[in-house]
Amino acid sequence: MSPFNRREFLKRGGAAVVAAGVVSAVPAALPAVAGAARPKSSDDEHDADVETGGQLDQPLVAHVRDLKTGEIGLFYGDHEVTYRDPKLAARIYRATR
Amino acid sequence: MSSHREAPEISKDPVADSTDLYAFISPDAPSTVTLIANYVPLQPPDGGPNFFEFGDDVLYEILIDNDGDGQAEISYQFRFKTTINDANTFLYNTGPINSLNSPNWNRVQTYSLQRVDYPGGHVTNLGNNLPCPPCNIGPLSTPNYASGLAAAAIQSVGTGIQVFAGQRAEGFYVDLGSIFDLGNLRPLQQLHNTFMTGAVLTSMAGINATAGLNVHTLALQVPINQLTANGSTPSNPALASSCIGVWTTASRRKVKIHEGTPGNTVTTGPYVQVSRLGNPLINEVVIPMAKKDYWNAEAPAKDSQFASHYSNPELGQLLPILYTNPPNTPVAGMFPNLATYNAGSPNRADLVAILLTGIPAGVVAPNYSTFTGATQADLLRLNLAIPPVPNAAGHLVGNNLGILGGDVAGFPNGRRVFDDVVTIEIQCIAGATLPLVDPAYTADGAVSAITQGLTSSATDTTAKGTENYLGQFPYLGVANQGYAAA
Repeated sequence: MSPFNRREFLKRGGAAVVAAGVVSAVPAALPAVAGAARPKSSDDEHDADVETGGQLDQPLVAHVRDLKTGEIGLFYGDHEVTYRDPKLAARIYRATR
Repeated sequence: MSSHREAPEISKDPVADSTDLYAFISPDAPSTVTLIANYVPLQPPDGGPNFFEFGDDVLYEILIDNDGDGQAEISYQFRFKTTINDANTFLYNTGPINSLNSPNWNRVQTYSLQRVDYPGGHVTNLGNNLPCPPCNIGPLSTPNYASGLAAAAIQSVGTGIQVFAGQRAEGFYVDLGSIFDLGNLRPLQQLHNTFMTGAVLTSMAGINATAGLNVHTLALQVPINQLTANGSTPSNPALASSCIGVWTTASRRKVKIHEGTPGNTVTTGPYVQVSRLGNPLINEVVIPMAKKDYWNAEAPAKDSQFASHYSNPELGQLLPILYTNPPNTPVAGMFPNLATYNAGSPNRADLVAILLTGIPAGVVAPNYSTFTGATQADLLRLNLAIPPVPNAAGHLVGNNLGILGGDVAGFPNGRRVFDDVVTIEIQCIAGATLPLVDPAYTADGAVSAITQGLTSSATDTTAKGTENYLGQFPYLGVANQGYAAA
């Protein structure tokens, strides 16, 4: 699987990672993976990427390893991707409080 | 034990805990190799109502290195699936299980088998929904177990391959209680220094700690030419290309989440190796405790990092100490030569060769070799050009001391189910093989006296009748029955 980029990650699992630092995705509650609109110009407009009605075919789990560096481990299918985004890591952390 | 509960973390995860690995040219089908990897240690046969099974969330592999690089060129992968037919009963079976498709069998396990060839990762699917037998419960639940269930679960797949996955009788015999009582080795315990406690230890026969227990077995019988790098059947035992290295691993998904619903788990991410096994007893008694689970997670090709433990094993240092100046006997130490050797700069090249590279041709005999190359990797090495000892009257034949007994078809040239690997390895560590690399060294006379006392002689291939081996695939005995358990 090709590495995730931030937009892909948000499209696939944004709803799930907001729920907790390490979260199992619940397919019915997740945004669409296929057919998502192109992102707006800013990453902060990530919500625009989120569409409804799609499902994950497998669990997607995010593990926030380090808030300072923003390192997040993404687990999906047989794969693990290390993703770095301090802002996203911080948002996930805030969502748990 | 060989590798039962050998590391702190894996001892808490029995379904992923490899216990023994065997690789040998099939004595009754010498154009094939039999590969056996056992898991789920120390099963009491009457362990219901949730009888033992493989892990649905574990990837089991038997791996082959056929070019000496310590890496797998072939992997046979087993994945299991458990089906509950009636969720409203606590029973494993609701009546007699007379066949593998019996409607009375409530908790059924099946598996898929793939062969993966590296590099490239080409996958050949060898079978789906292959049946495991049930556990051997008793005369009412599993009548006609041996032929109707256990033998029926032997499947033919691919081209000339036989496979079995399920419960068998434990085939590894060991006097566990004596070994881990500070090396209080029966039947030599009267010579132990007892840590100067003054304890009086009387010689007594060894006790087979695993007698009557079961394991879960992955067994394959594969044509030799499907395992070699060039697809040939080797005939020259002196060539490194005649030798393969074998090991087994168990891997789990990196992430597992226990959901709120009891028993409902989510697993995802790549598989990570949590257990491995090549040579018997290595992670058990050679690798230090703090490194055992790390060793389990590492690839054999990286085993040079552990080489110092092989070249100067702790047990080799302990033997002369434990068996020196016993307080209650006039014997002046059993291992004076080993003690002198240890006092220098011990470098057990013999053990490194046996366990990490294989023994080069000419060291033991001109046509004896297990050498696969310079890469140090803990693999069970098998020379495919050395013929097996044929069965006699359908029974396994050979010297259970393997090469120490002059039987070139036995451990450490592969491992047969009846090989007394505990005695072999303790004798080797005590110095039996040191003269192979250091001609000036003379092994202590006591070395040959080391025995577990669990066989009646070196040609006893039954462990005094306790192991019930079969003369044909899968060679390990039919699983011990729960109802009959002592």
